Amino acid sequence: MKKLIAITIALPLMTMTTLACTKKEPPPPTPAAAAPATTLPAPVSVSAVALGTAIGPDKRVTAATETFGAKDTIYASVETAGTGHAKLRARWSFVKGDKTAKVDETTIEFDSAGPAVNEFHISKPSGWPKGDYRIDVFLGDAESPAATRTFKVN
Amino acid sequence: MTDGQDGKKDDDMPDFSDVKSGASSTAPGAEVFQTYEVKSGDSLSKIAKNFYGNGNAWKTIFDANTDILKDPNKIYPGQKLKIPPKIPPKL
Repeated sequence: MKKLIAITIALPLMTMTTLACTKKEPPPPTPAAAAPATTLPAPVSVSAVALGTAIGPDKRVTAATETFGAKDTIYASVETAGTGHAKLRARWSFVKGDKTAKVDETTIEFDSAGPAVNEFHISKPSGWPKGDYRIDVFLGDAESPAATRTFKVN
Repeated sequence: MTDGQDGKKDDDMPDFSDVKSGASSTAPGAEVFQTYEVKSGDSLSKIAKNFYGNGNAWKTIFDANTDILKDPNKIYPGQKLKIPPKIPPKL
């Protein structure tokens, strides 16, 4: 009788243990489907700056020069690439030795969807003083210019 | 638009106060403005007179700078103000 009781207790225990030990392993996780290759949109950058005395309807310089006359209107065509909100600032300066005087500072703000051409221009009815000038083009509130061009007035 | 002087007079340097400037873009909806750094003694009407030839146009400048100006009578040296282009009078 004792033997029967022992078997009655032991058998379910053994069955449970066996079941626990042979518990089906969960299937290995299937590797995640490879995410489609996405490239983050490139931020706006300055791709080219050209100076001249005239621009076309596409805002590109049509008469390129880096030497201007006293009565010229001076154009700078600034090409940008990339997408996102863009703040393009052009600072024109007169340079004399190690001193500079700000001539003008103008900003264009726009939402860029791709390549864009932007033009900045300055004129001085009383005539430009002869000497060396510079245009610095800044992106956003950056302290350092994204592009710089120098030119002369003769 | 009119001048872009920063208010720092240097007798050694030429006067650029009559410089006219402008800008445009192929990007749709582009906004163009000049930047002016406030100097001691400035007021919005003085700046408006300087840029637009009309001190009463101060509100144009104030409206363009409500992100940094709360009171048109309180501007401080060093603040950089957006100066919108002068709107030509309607014919």
